[in-house]
Amino acid sequence: MTSVSTSLDAGRHAIRDAAIADLGGLRARHPAAFATSVGKRVLTIGILVAAVLLALGAMVWLDFSLVRIWNGLHRLGQFAVLMIPPMPEGRFEAFSIALGETLAIAFLGTLTAAILAFPVAFLAAKNVIPNIFVHFGMRRTFDVFRSVDTLIWALMWINVVGLGPFAGVLAIACADFGAFGKLFSEAIEATDNKAVEGIAASGGGKAHQVRFGLVPQVFPVIASQVLYFFESNTRSATIIGIVGAGGVGSYLTELIRVLELKQVAFLILMILVTVAIIDFVSSKLRMAVIGKSKMV
Amino acid sequence: MLVLDGVARHFNQKAAVSDVSLTIGSGSFVGVIGRSGAGKSTLLRMINRLVDPTAGAIRFGDVDVTKLKGQQLRDWRARCAMIFQQFNLVGRLDVLTNVLMGRLNTVSTPRSLLQLWKDEDRAVALSALEQFDIAQLAGQRADSLSGGQQQRVAIARALVQEPEIILADEPIASLDPRNTKVVMDALLRINRHYGITVMCNLHSLDLARTYCDRLIGMSAGRVVFDGVPAELTEDVARDLYGLEAEELLDFEPATLPAAVPGGIAAAA
Repeated sequence: MTSVSTSLDAGRHAIRDAAIADLGGLRARHPAAFATSVGKRVLTIGILVAAVLLALGAMVWLDFSLVRIWNGLHRLGQFAVLMIPPMPEGRFEAFSIALGETLAIAFLGTLTAAILAFPVAFLAAKNVIPNIFVHFGMRRTFDVFRSVDTLIWALMWINVVGLGPFAGVLAIACADFGAFGKLFSEAIEATDNKAVEGIAASGGGKAHQVRFGLVPQVFPVIASQVLYFFESNTRSATIIGIVGAGGVGSYLTELIRVLELKQVAFLILMILVTVAIIDFVSSKLRMAVIGKSKMV
Repeated sequence: MLVLDGVARHFNQKAAVSDVSLTIGSGSFVGVIGRSGAGKSTLLRMINRLVDPTAGAIRFGDVDVTKLKGQQLRDWRARCAMIFQQFNLVGRLDVLTNVLMGRLNTVSTPRSLLQLWKDEDRAVALSALEQFDIAQLAGQRADSLSGGQQQRVAIARALVQEPEIILADEPIASLDPRNTKVVMDALLRINRHYGITVMCNLHSLDLARTYCDRLIGMSAGRVVFDGVPAELTEDVARDLYGLEAEELLDFEPATLPAAVPGGIAAAA
Protein backbone atom coordinates (compact mmCIF):
# COMPACT_ATOMS: atom_id res chain seq x y z
CA MET A 1 0.00 0.00 0.00
CA THR A 2 1.25 3.49 -0.76
CA SER A 3 1.67 6.19 1.82
CA VAL A 4 -1.49 6.61 3.82
CA SER A 5 -1.18 10.00 5.36
CA THR A 6 -2.34 10.39 8.92
CA SER A 7 -2.64 14.12 9.08
CA LEU A 8 -4.20 15.67 12.14
CA ASP A 9 -6.43 18.04 10.15
CA ALA A 10 -8.90 15.24 9.54
CA GLY A 11 -12.56 15.93 8.84
CA ARG A 12 -14.53 16.08 5.63
CA HIS A 13 -14.34 19.87 5.37
CA ALA A 14 -10.53 19.76 5.47
CA ILE A 15 -10.49 19.50 1.67
CA ARG A 16 -12.27 22.84 1.32
CA ASP A 17 -10.29 24.56 4.05
CA ALA A 18 -6.97 23.40 2.63
CA ALA A 19 -7.95 24.47 -0.89
CA ILE A 20 -9.01 27.93 0.22
CA ALA A 21 -5.85 28.36 2.26
CA ASP A 22 -3.89 27.46 -0.88
CA LEU A 23 -6.01 29.54 -3.27
CA GLY A 24 -3.01 31.64 -4.38
CA GLY A 25 -0.89 28.58 -5.03
CA LEU A 26 -3.64 26.80 -6.96
CA ARG A 27 -4.26 29.90 -9.04
CA ALA A 28 -0.56 30.13 -9.86
CA ARG A 29 -0.30 26.44 -10.75
CA HIS A 30 -3.47 26.29 -12.87
CA PRO A 31 -3.96 29.74 -14.38
CA ALA A 32 -6.01 28.32 -17.25
CA ALA A 33 -8.68 26.92 -14.92
CA PHE A 34 -9.29 30.33 -13.38
CA ALA A 35 -8.62 32.67 -16.29
CA THR A 36 -10.39 31.27 -19.37
CA SER A 37 -13.87 31.84 -18.01
CA VAL A 38 -13.71 35.65 -18.45
CA GLY A 39 -12.82 35.46 -22.13
CA LYS A 40 -15.43 32.76 -22.74
CA ARG A 41 -18.11 34.73 -20.93
CA VAL A 42 -17.37 37.89 -22.95
CA LEU A 43 -17.61 35.81 -26.12
CA THR A 44 -20.91 34.23 -25.02
CA ILE A 45 -22.42 37.60 -24.09
CA GLY A 46 -21.11 39.09 -27.34
CA ILE A 47 -22.77 36.36 -29.43
CA LEU A 48 -26.04 36.78 -27.51
CA VAL A 49 -26.04 40.56 -28.00
CA ALA A 50 -25.24 40.14 -31.69
CA ALA A 51 -28.13 37.68 -32.11
CA VAL A 52 -30.58 40.04 -30.39
CA LEU A 53 -29.41 43.00 -32.53
CA LEU A 54 -29.74 40.90 -35.67
CA ALA A 55 -33.29 39.92 -34.70
CA LEU A 56 -34.23 43.54 -33.99
CA GLY A 57 -32.73 44.62 -37.33
CA ALA A 58 -34.73 41.96 -39.16
CA MET A 59 -37.93 43.12 -37.42
CA VAL A 60 -37.39 46.71 -38.54
CA TRP A 61 -36.56 45.60 -42.07
CA LEU A 62 -39.64 43.36 -42.33
CA ASP A 63 -41.99 46.05 -41.04
CA PHE A 64 -42.87 44.41 -37.74
CA SER A 65 -45.59 46.40 -36.09
CA LEU A 66 -47.52 45.54 -32.95
CA VAL A 67 -49.97 48.33 -33.84
CA ARG A 68 -50.95 46.52 -37.04
CA ILE A 69 -51.47 43.26 -35.16
CA TRP A 70 -53.57 45.10 -32.56
CA ASN A 71 -55.69 46.91 -35.17
CA GLY A 72 -56.25 43.72 -37.15
CA LEU A 73 -57.12 41.70 -34.09
CA HIS A 74 -60.86 42.39 -34.29
CA ARG A 75 -60.92 40.93 -37.80
CA LEU A 76 -59.39 37.75 -36.45
CA GLY A 77 -62.22 37.81 -33.91
CA GLN A 78 -64.83 38.22 -36.68
CA PHE A 79 -63.26 35.31 -38.51
CA ALA A 80 -63.49 33.16 -35.39
CA VAL A 81 -67.13 34.11 -34.77
CA LEU A 82 -68.08 33.18 -38.34
CA MET A 83 -66.49 29.75 -37.78
CA ILE A 84 -68.86 28.88 -34.93
CA PRO A 85 -70.46 26.40 -34.92
CA PRO A 86 -68.38 24.16 -37.19
CA MET A 87 -70.80 22.47 -39.60
CA PRO A 88 -70.25 20.13 -42.56
CA GLU A 89 -73.51 21.39 -44.16
CA GLY A 90 -74.07 18.16 -46.04
CA ARG A 91 -70.55 17.78 -47.37
CA PHE A 92 -69.20 15.37 -44.73
CA GLU A 93 -68.85 12.58 -47.27
CA ALA A 94 -67.02 14.75 -49.78
CA PHE A 95 -64.73 16.01 -47.04
CA SER A 96 -63.99 12.46 -45.89
CA ILE A 97 -63.07 11.35 -49.40
CA ALA A 98 -60.79 14.38 -49.81
CA LEU A 99 -59.18 13.75 -46.43
CA GLY A 100 -58.62 10.13 -47.39
CA GLU A 101 -56.96 11.34 -50.58
CA THR A 102 -54.72 13.65 -48.55
CA LEU A 103 -53.76 10.75 -46.27
CA ALA A 104 -53.00 8.59 -49.30
CA ILE A 105 -50.81 11.32 -50.81
CA ALA A 106 -48.89 11.72 -47.57
CA PHE A 107 -48.52 7.97 -47.07
CA LEU A 108 -47.38 7.16 -50.60
CA GLY A 109 -45.13 10.22 -50.80
CA THR A 110 -43.41 9.52 -47.49
CA LEU A 111 -43.05 5.81 -48.23
CA THR A 112 -41.55 6.44 -51.68
CA ALA A 113 -39.12 9.00 -50.27
CA ALA A 114 -38.05 6.66 -47.45
CA ILE A 115 -37.58 3.65 -49.70
CA LEU A 116 -35.49 5.67 -52.16
CA ALA A 117 -33.48 7.49 -49.51
CA PHE A 118 -32.67 4.46 -47.32
CA PRO A 119 -30.08 2.78 -49.57
CA VAL A 120 -28.71 6.04 -50.90
CA ALA A 121 -28.19 7.43 -47.38
CA PHE A 122 -25.56 4.76 -46.73
CA LEU A 123 -23.59 6.08 -49.72
CA ALA A 124 -23.71 9.55 -48.19
CA ALA A 125 -22.38 8.39 -44.79
CA LYS A 126 -18.68 8.98 -44.20
CA ASN A 127 -18.29 5.87 -42.06
CA VAL A 128 -19.69 3.62 -44.81
CA ILE A 129 -18.13 5.24 -47.90
CA PRO A 130 -14.87 6.94 -46.92
CA ASN A 131 -14.42 8.18 -50.50
CA ILE A 132 -14.97 11.93 -50.23
CA PHE A 133 -16.20 12.37 -53.82
CA VAL A 134 -18.99 9.81 -53.39
CA HIS A 135 -20.37 10.99 -50.09
CA PHE A 136 -19.82 14.66 -50.90
CA GLY A 137 -21.60 14.18 -54.23
CA MET A 138 -24.51 12.38 -52.54
CA ARG A 139 -24.78 15.10 -49.92
CA ARG A 140 -25.04 17.82 -52.55
CA THR A 141 -27.61 15.77 -54.47
CA PHE A 142 -29.76 15.64 -51.33
CA ASP A 143 -29.26 19.39 -50.93
CA VAL A 144 -30.60 20.01 -54.41
CA PHE A 145 -33.75 17.97 -53.73
CA ARG A 146 -34.21 19.59 -50.35
CA SER A 147 -33.60 23.17 -51.38
CA VAL A 148 -36.79 23.09 -53.48
CA ASP A 149 -39.85 23.17 -51.22
CA THR A 150 -42.69 20.64 -51.47
CA LEU A 151 -45.00 23.35 -52.78
CA ILE A 152 -42.64 24.21 -55.65
CA TRP A 153 -42.17 20.51 -56.46
CA ALA A 154 -45.98 20.25 -56.64
CA LEU A 155 -46.22 23.16 -59.08
CA MET A 156 -43.54 21.54 -61.26
CA TRP A 157 -45.12 18.06 -61.23
CA ILE A 158 -48.53 19.48 -62.08
CA ASN A 159 -47.00 20.69 -65.33
CA VAL A 160 -45.53 17.26 -65.98
CA VAL A 161 -48.30 14.83 -64.98
CA GLY A 162 -51.28 17.17 -64.77
CA LEU A 163 -53.52 18.22 -61.87
CA GLY A 164 -54.41 15.68 -59.21
CA PRO A 165 -53.11 13.56 -56.36
CA PHE A 166 -50.38 11.85 -58.39
CA ALA A 167 -48.52 15.18 -58.68
CA GLY A 168 -48.88 15.56 -54.90
CA VAL A 169 -47.30 12.17 -54.24
CA LEU A 170 -44.38 12.98 -56.53
CA ALA A 171 -43.92 16.38 -54.89
CA ILE A 172 -43.70 14.94 -51.39
CA ALA A 173 -41.48 12.07 -52.53
CA CYS A 174 -39.00 14.48 -54.12
CA ALA A 175 -38.77 17.00 -51.29
CA ASP A 176 -38.59 14.33 -48.58
CA PHE A 177 -36.05 12.26 -50.47
CA GLY A 178 -33.62 15.12 -49.84
CA ALA A 179 -34.63 15.52 -46.22
CA PHE A 180 -34.53 11.78 -45.46
CA GLY A 181 -31.18 11.41 -47.19
CA LYS A 182 -29.65 14.01 -44.93
CA LEU A 183 -31.29 12.75 -41.72
CA PHE A 184 -30.64 9.03 -42.41
CA SER A 185 -26.99 9.55 -43.33
CA GLU A 186 -26.43 11.65 -40.22
CA ALA A 187 -28.04 8.94 -38.10
CA ILE A 188 -25.73 6.39 -39.75
CA GLU A 189 -22.70 8.55 -38.99
CA ALA A 190 -23.70 8.87 -35.34
CA THR A 191 -23.58 5.09 -34.83
CA ASP A 192 -21.09 3.28 -32.66
CA ASN A 193 -18.25 1.67 -34.61
CA LYS A 194 -17.81 -1.15 -32.09
CA ALA A 195 -20.62 -3.31 -33.50
CA VAL A 196 -19.28 -2.94 -37.05
CA GLU A 197 -15.79 -3.85 -35.85
CA GLY A 198 -17.21 -6.96 -34.18
CA ILE A 199 -18.87 -8.10 -37.42
CA ALA A 200 -15.74 -7.37 -39.44
CA ALA A 201 -13.57 -9.28 -36.95
CA SER A 202 -15.83 -12.32 -37.32
CA GLY A 203 -15.17 -12.37 -41.06
CA GLY A 204 -18.23 -10.42 -42.22
CA GLY A 205 -18.03 -8.50 -45.50
CA LYS A 206 -19.01 -4.88 -46.09
CA ALA A 207 -22.63 -5.86 -46.74
CA HIS A 208 -22.77 -7.84 -43.48
CA GLN A 209 -21.27 -4.92 -41.59
CA VAL A 210 -23.98 -2.62 -42.88
CA ARG A 211 -26.81 -5.14 -42.46
CA PHE A 212 -25.91 -6.40 -38.96
CA GLY A 213 -23.65 -3.64 -37.59
CA LEU A 214 -25.40 -0.47 -38.74
CA VAL A 215 -29.02 -1.23 -39.64
CA PRO A 216 -30.06 -2.47 -36.17
CA GLN A 217 -28.56 0.68 -34.67
CA VAL A 218 -30.17 3.18 -37.05
CA PHE A 219 -33.50 1.45 -37.62
CA PRO A 220 -35.30 2.91 -34.57
CA VAL A 221 -34.10 6.43 -35.40
CA ILE A 222 -35.07 6.10 -39.05
CA ALA A 223 -38.47 4.61 -38.18
CA SER A 224 -39.32 7.46 -35.85
CA GLN A 225 -38.22 10.04 -38.45
CA VAL A 226 -40.36 8.42 -41.14
CA LEU A 227 -43.39 8.29 -38.84
CA TYR A 228 -42.97 11.95 -37.93
CA PHE A 229 -42.69 12.90 -41.60
CA PHE A 230 -45.88 10.98 -42.40
CA GLU A 231 -47.70 12.99 -39.75
CA SER A 232 -46.14 16.25 -40.89
CA ASN A 233 -46.89 15.44 -44.54
CA THR A 234 -50.56 14.92 -43.75
CA ARG A 235 -50.53 18.59 -42.88
CA SER A 236 -48.39 19.68 -45.86
CA ALA A 237 -50.56 17.61 -48.19
CA THR A 238 -53.38 20.02 -47.39
CA ILE A 239 -51.18 22.88 -48.68
CA ILE A 240 -50.36 20.88 -51.78
CA GLY A 241 -54.09 20.56 -52.39
CA ILE A 242 -54.30 24.34 -52.50
CA VAL A 243 -52.21 24.42 -55.68
CA GLY A 244 -54.40 21.76 -57.24
CA ALA A 245 -52.40 18.62 -56.52
CA GLY A 246 -55.32 16.79 -54.95
CA GLY A 247 -56.69 16.24 -51.48
CA VAL A 248 -58.40 18.33 -48.86
CA GLY A 249 -56.47 21.53 -49.66
CA SER A 250 -58.55 22.39 -52.71
CA TYR A 251 -61.70 22.42 -50.53
CA LEU A 252 -59.96 24.60 -47.97
CA THR A 253 -58.98 27.28 -50.49
CA GLU A 254 -62.34 27.25 -52.20
CA LEU A 255 -64.31 27.47 -48.94
CA ILE A 256 -62.14 30.25 -47.49
CA ARG A 257 -62.55 32.21 -50.72
CA VAL A 258 -66.35 32.03 -50.56
CA LEU A 259 -66.32 32.62 -46.77
CA GLU A 260 -68.01 29.32 -45.88
CA LEU A 261 -66.17 29.50 -42.60
CA LYS A 262 -68.35 27.01 -40.70
CA GLN A 263 -67.40 24.34 -43.19
CA VAL A 264 -63.76 25.46 -43.01
CA ALA A 265 -63.86 25.06 -39.24
CA PHE A 266 -65.36 21.60 -39.57
CA LEU A 267 -62.70 20.58 -42.07
CA ILE A 268 -59.95 21.89 -39.79
CA LEU A 269 -61.38 19.84 -36.94
CA MET A 270 -61.39 16.75 -39.16
CA ILE A 271 -57.71 17.32 -40.01
CA LEU A 272 -56.94 17.87 -36.33
CA VAL A 273 -58.56 14.58 -35.33
CA THR A 274 -56.78 12.73 -38.14
CA VAL A 275 -53.38 14.12 -37.18
CA ALA A 276 -54.05 13.25 -33.53
CA ILE A 277 -54.90 9.66 -34.50
CA ILE A 278 -51.76 9.37 -36.63
CA ASP A 279 -49.68 10.76 -33.79
CA PHE A 280 -51.18 8.25 -31.37
CA VAL A 281 -50.66 5.29 -33.68
CA SER A 282 -47.14 6.34 -34.66
CA SER A 283 -46.04 6.79 -31.06
CA LYS A 284 -47.25 3.24 -30.32
CA LEU A 285 -45.39 1.98 -33.41
CA ARG A 286 -42.25 3.87 -32.47
CA MET A 287 -42.26 2.41 -28.97
CA ALA A 288 -42.66 -1.07 -30.43
CA VAL A 289 -39.73 -0.47 -32.78
CA ILE A 290 -37.49 0.91 -30.04
CA GLY A 291 -38.41 -1.90 -27.67
CA LYS A 292 -37.73 -4.63 -30.19
CA SER A 293 -34.82 -2.93 -31.95
CA LYS A 294 -32.43 -5.60 -30.67
CA MET A 295 -34.21 -8.22 -32.74
CA VAL A 296 -34.17 -6.36 -36.07
CA MET B 1 -23.69 6.42 12.09
CA LEU B 2 -25.71 4.85 9.28
CA VAL B 3 -28.47 2.46 10.34
CA LEU B 4 -30.39 0.18 8.00
CA ASP B 5 -33.42 -1.41 9.59
CA GLY B 6 -35.18 -4.25 7.79
CA VAL B 7 -34.51 -2.72 4.36
CA ALA B 8 -35.95 -4.55 1.37
CA ARG B 9 -36.39 -3.90 -2.31
CA HIS B 10 -38.46 -5.84 -4.82
CA PHE B 11 -38.42 -5.45 -8.59
CA ASN B 12 -41.69 -6.88 -10.00
CA GLN B 13 -42.12 -9.50 -7.26
CA LYS B 14 -38.45 -10.44 -7.48
CA ALA B 15 -36.58 -9.59 -4.28
CA ALA B 16 -33.25 -7.86 -4.91
CA VAL B 17 -32.65 -7.10 -1.23
CA SER B 18 -34.60 -8.67 1.64
CA ASP B 19 -34.66 -7.62 5.26
CA VAL B 20 -31.17 -6.14 5.60
CA SER B 21 -30.36 -4.61 8.99
CA LEU B 22 -26.92 -3.07 9.45
CA THR B 23 -25.16 -0.43 11.50
CA ILE B 24 -22.22 1.26 9.80
CA GLY B 25 -19.97 3.19 12.18
CA SER B 26 -18.56 6.54 11.13
CA GLY B 27 -15.08 6.45 9.66
CA SER B 28 -15.03 2.74 8.84
CA PHE B 29 -14.02 1.17 5.53
CA VAL B 30 -16.67 -1.45 4.78
CA GLY B 31 -16.46 -3.93 1.95
CA VAL B 32 -19.63 -5.52 0.57
CA ILE B 33 -18.93 -8.84 -1.14
CA GLY B 34 -21.00 -11.48 -2.88
CA ARG B 35 -21.83 -12.85 -6.30
CA SER B 36 -23.29 -10.79 -9.10
CA GLY B 37 -27.00 -10.33 -8.44
CA ALA B 38 -26.62 -10.74 -4.68
CA GLY B 39 -28.13 -7.28 -4.13
CA LYS B 40 -24.93 -5.32 -3.41
CA SER B 41 -25.58 -2.57 -5.97
CA THR B 42 -29.23 -2.22 -4.98
CA LEU B 43 -28.19 -1.89 -1.33
CA LEU B 44 -25.78 0.97 -2.08
CA ARG B 45 -28.19 2.67 -4.46
CA MET B 46 -30.91 2.59 -1.79
CA ILE B 47 -28.65 4.41 0.67
CA ASN B 48 -28.19 7.21 -1.90
CA ARG B 49 -31.92 6.89 -2.75
CA LEU B 50 -31.26 6.28 -6.45
CA VAL B 51 -33.51 3.31 -5.69
CA ASP B 52 -36.29 3.60 -3.11
CA PRO B 53 -36.65 0.74 -0.64
CA THR B 54 -39.95 -1.15 -0.72
CA ALA B 55 -39.78 -1.73 3.03
CA GLY B 56 -37.66 -0.81 6.03
CA ALA B 57 -35.93 2.38 7.11
CA ILE B 58 -32.53 3.96 6.55
CA ARG B 59 -31.37 6.47 9.15
CA PHE B 60 -28.26 8.61 9.34
CA GLY B 61 -27.92 10.22 12.76
CA ASP B 62 -31.34 11.77 13.29
CA VAL B 63 -32.13 11.96 9.54
CA ASP B 64 -34.73 9.50 8.23
CA VAL B 65 -33.22 9.00 4.79
CA THR B 66 -36.19 7.03 3.42
CA LYS B 67 -38.57 9.97 4.01
CA LEU B 68 -36.49 12.74 2.38
CA LYS B 69 -37.87 14.75 -0.53
CA GLY B 70 -36.82 17.71 -2.70
CA GLN B 71 -34.03 19.90 -1.35
CA GLN B 72 -33.52 17.70 1.72
CA LEU B 73 -33.00 14.67 -0.53
CA ARG B 74 -30.45 16.63 -2.56
CA ASP B 75 -28.67 17.62 0.66
CA TRP B 76 -28.55 13.99 1.73
CA ARG B 77 -27.20 12.86 -1.64
CA ALA B 78 -24.45 15.48 -1.39
CA ARG B 79 -23.53 13.99 1.99
CA CYS B 80 -23.27 10.42 0.66
CA ALA B 81 -21.27 10.55 -2.55
CA MET B 82 -21.58 7.75 -5.09
CA ILE B 83 -18.83 6.22 -7.23
CA PHE B 84 -19.83 3.95 -10.12
CA GLN B 85 -18.27 1.07 -12.02
CA GLN B 86 -18.57 2.94 -15.33
CA PHE B 87 -17.53 6.25 -13.68
CA ASN B 88 -20.73 8.07 -14.81
CA LEU B 89 -18.89 11.23 -15.81
CA VAL B 90 -20.31 13.61 -18.41
CA GLY B 91 -18.01 12.71 -21.28
CA ARG B 92 -18.54 15.89 -23.26
CA LEU B 93 -17.67 18.19 -20.37
CA ASP B 94 -14.12 18.93 -19.27
CA VAL B 95 -12.60 17.34 -16.19
CA LEU B 96 -12.81 20.47 -14.04
CA THR B 97 -16.52 20.93 -14.78
CA ASN B 98 -17.13 17.26 -14.00
CA VAL B 99 -15.50 17.70 -10.60
CA LEU B 100 -17.44 20.94 -10.02
CA MET B 101 -20.63 18.84 -10.34
CA GLY B 102 -19.74 17.74 -6.82
CA ARG B 103 -20.19 21.36 -5.67
CA LEU B 104 -23.67 21.80 -7.19
CA ASN B 105 -25.38 21.63 -3.84
CA THR B 106 -23.27 24.46 -2.39
CA VAL B 107 -23.83 26.86 -5.33
CA SER B 108 -27.13 28.61 -6.10
CA THR B 109 -28.98 26.99 -9.01
CA PRO B 110 -28.95 30.01 -11.43
CA ARG B 111 -25.25 30.49 -10.75
CA SER B 112 -24.41 26.85 -11.43
CA LEU B 113 -26.61 26.67 -14.55
CA LEU B 114 -24.70 29.64 -16.00
CA GLN B 115 -21.43 28.03 -14.91
CA LEU B 116 -20.47 31.10 -12.87
CA TRP B 117 -18.29 29.07 -10.51
CA LYS B 118 -16.67 30.88 -7.61
CA ASP B 119 -12.89 30.79 -7.44
CA GLU B 120 -13.32 29.03 -4.12
CA ASP B 121 -15.15 26.14 -5.77
CA ARG B 122 -12.61 25.96 -8.58
CA ALA B 123 -9.85 25.84 -5.98
CA VAL B 124 -11.53 22.98 -4.11
CA ALA B 125 -11.96 21.04 -7.36
CA LEU B 126 -8.37 21.61 -8.47
CA SER B 127 -7.01 20.73 -5.06
CA ALA B 128 -8.94 17.43 -5.19
CA LEU B 129 -7.57 16.75 -8.68
CA GLU B 130 -4.04 17.51 -7.44
CA GLN B 131 -4.45 14.94 -4.69
CA PHE B 132 -4.96 12.26 -7.32
CA ASP B 133 -2.23 13.59 -9.66
CA ILE B 134 -4.59 14.53 -12.47
CA ALA B 135 -4.80 18.34 -12.11
CA GLN B 136 -2.93 18.71 -15.42
CA LEU B 137 -5.95 17.10 -17.14
CA ALA B 138 -8.41 19.72 -15.82
CA GLY B 139 -9.09 21.27 -19.24
CA GLN B 140 -9.49 17.99 -21.16
CA ARG B 141 -12.77 16.41 -22.07
CA ALA B 142 -13.63 13.56 -19.70
CA ASP B 143 -14.24 11.07 -22.51
CA SER B 144 -10.65 11.52 -23.73
CA LEU B 145 -9.28 10.02 -20.47
CA SER B 146 -8.36 6.42 -19.71
CA GLY B 147 -10.52 4.37 -17.36
CA GLY B 148 -8.20 4.80 -14.39
CA GLN B 149 -8.03 8.55 -14.90
CA GLN B 150 -11.81 8.79 -15.26
CA GLN B 151 -12.36 6.93 -12.02
CA ARG B 152 -9.97 9.30 -10.25
CA VAL B 153 -11.98 12.22 -11.63
CA ALA B 154 -15.10 10.53 -10.25
CA ILE B 155 -13.45 10.18 -6.83
CA ALA B 156 -12.44 13.85 -6.94
CA ARG B 157 -16.06 14.73 -7.73
CA ALA B 158 -17.17 12.66 -4.74
CA LEU B 159 -14.56 14.26 -2.48
CA VAL B 160 -15.49 17.89 -3.28
CA GLN B 161 -19.02 17.10 -2.11
CA GLU B 162 -17.38 17.06 1.35
CA PRO B 163 -19.34 13.86 1.98
CA GLU B 164 -19.71 11.90 5.19
CA ILE B 165 -20.05 8.60 3.35
CA ILE B 166 -18.71 7.46 0.02
CA LEU B 167 -20.64 4.64 -1.65
CA ALA B 168 -18.46 2.93 -4.24
CA ASP B 169 -20.29 0.45 -6.50
CA GLU B 170 -17.68 -1.90 -8.00
CA PRO B 171 -15.28 1.03 -8.50
CA ILE B 172 -12.46 -1.09 -9.89
CA ALA B 173 -14.35 -3.71 -11.88
CA SER B 174 -13.37 -2.23 -15.25
CA LEU B 175 -9.79 -1.30 -14.37
CA ASP B 176 -6.40 -3.01 -14.80
CA PRO B 177 -4.41 -4.14 -11.73
CA ARG B 178 -2.28 -1.01 -11.52
CA ASN B 179 -5.25 1.36 -11.73
CA THR B 180 -7.10 -0.90 -9.30
CA LYS B 181 -4.40 -0.20 -6.75
CA VAL B 182 -4.37 3.53 -7.51
CA VAL B 183 -8.13 3.80 -7.07
CA MET B 184 -8.34 1.62 -3.95
CA ASP B 185 -5.44 3.58 -2.39
CA ALA B 186 -7.27 6.80 -3.18
CA LEU B 187 -10.39 5.53 -1.40
CA LEU B 188 -8.35 4.37 1.59
CA ARG B 189 -6.57 7.72 1.73
CA ILE B 190 -9.90 9.57 1.77
CA ASN B 191 -11.09 7.26 4.52
CA ARG B 192 -8.03 7.63 6.74
CA HIS B 193 -7.17 11.26 6.01
CA TYR B 194 -10.63 12.83 6.16
CA GLY B 195 -12.39 10.21 8.28
CA ILE B 196 -15.03 9.72 5.56
CA THR B 197 -16.90 6.41 5.83
CA VAL B 198 -16.42 4.24 2.74
CA MET B 199 -18.81 1.48 1.67
CA CYS B 200 -17.39 -0.37 -1.27
CA ASN B 201 -18.82 -3.23 -3.36
CA LEU B 202 -16.05 -5.54 -4.43
CA HIS B 203 -15.74 -8.73 -6.46
CA SER B 204 -12.22 -9.61 -5.40
CA LEU B 205 -11.92 -11.21 -1.97
CA ASP B 206 -8.20 -10.46 -1.90
CA LEU B 207 -8.82 -6.75 -2.29
CA ALA B 208 -11.63 -6.84 0.24
CA ARG B 209 -9.34 -8.49 2.78
CA THR B 210 -6.50 -6.05 2.13
CA TYR B 211 -8.38 -2.77 2.28
CA CYS B 212 -11.49 -3.19 4.44
CA ASP B 213 -11.95 -2.98 8.21
CA ARG B 214 -15.19 -4.88 8.00
CA LEU B 215 -16.75 -7.18 5.43
CA ILE B 216 -20.42 -7.73 4.71
CA GLY B 217 -21.23 -10.80 2.65
CA MET B 218 -24.49 -10.88 0.70
CA SER B 219 -26.22 -13.77 -0.96
CA ALA B 220 -29.64 -13.72 -2.65
CA GLY B 221 -30.42 -10.30 -1.18
CA ARG B 222 -29.61 -11.19 2.43
CA VAL B 223 -26.63 -10.49 4.67
CA VAL B 224 -25.01 -13.87 5.33
CA PHE B 225 -21.68 -12.69 6.75
CA ASP B 226 -20.67 -9.67 8.81
CA GLY B 227 -17.26 -9.50 10.43
CA VAL B 228 -13.62 -8.51 10.24
CA PRO B 229 -11.59 -9.84 7.29
CA ALA B 230 -9.82 -12.41 9.50
CA GLU B 231 -13.15 -14.13 10.11
CA LEU B 232 -13.72 -14.66 6.40
CA THR B 233 -12.61 -18.26 6.28
CA GLU B 234 -12.72 -20.44 3.21
CA ASP B 235 -15.93 -22.05 4.49
CA VAL B 236 -17.65 -18.68 4.63
CA ALA B 237 -16.39 -17.80 1.16
CA ARG B 238 -17.74 -21.12 -0.14
CA ASP B 239 -21.14 -20.31 1.35
CA LEU B 240 -21.03 -16.90 -0.31
CA TYR B 241 -19.86 -17.96 -3.72
CA GLY B 242 -21.12 -21.54 -3.89
CA LEU B 243 -18.91 -24.11 -5.58
CA GLU B 244 -16.82 -21.43 -7.25
CA ALA B 245 -15.22 -20.43 -3.96
CA GLU B 246 -12.03 -22.45 -4.25
CA GLU B 247 -11.50 -21.37 -7.80
CA LEU B 248 -12.00 -17.76 -6.79
CA LEU B 249 -9.54 -17.96 -3.93
CA ASP B 250 -6.82 -19.96 -5.63
CA PHE B 251 -7.39 -19.18 -9.31
CA GLU B 252 -7.02 -22.86 -10.21
CA PRO B 253 -8.02 -23.45 -13.82
CA ALA B 254 -11.16 -25.48 -14.27
CA THR B 255 -10.69 -29.12 -15.24
CA LEU B 256 -10.87 -29.18 -19.02
CA PRO B 257 -12.40 -31.99 -21.06
CA ALA B 258 -9.87 -34.25 -22.71
CA ALA B 259 -8.48 -32.77 -25.90
CA VAL B 260 -9.91 -34.15 -29.12
CA PRO B 261 -7.11 -35.94 -31.02
CA GLY B 262 -6.29 -33.91 -34.09
CA GLY B 263 -8.35 -30.92 -32.95
CA ILE B 264 -11.99 -29.95 -33.36
CA ALA B 265 -11.87 -30.27 -37.13
CA ALA B 266 -10.91 -33.95 -36.88
CA ALA B 267 -13.75 -34.65 -34.45
CA ALA B 268 -16.35 -33.07 -36.72
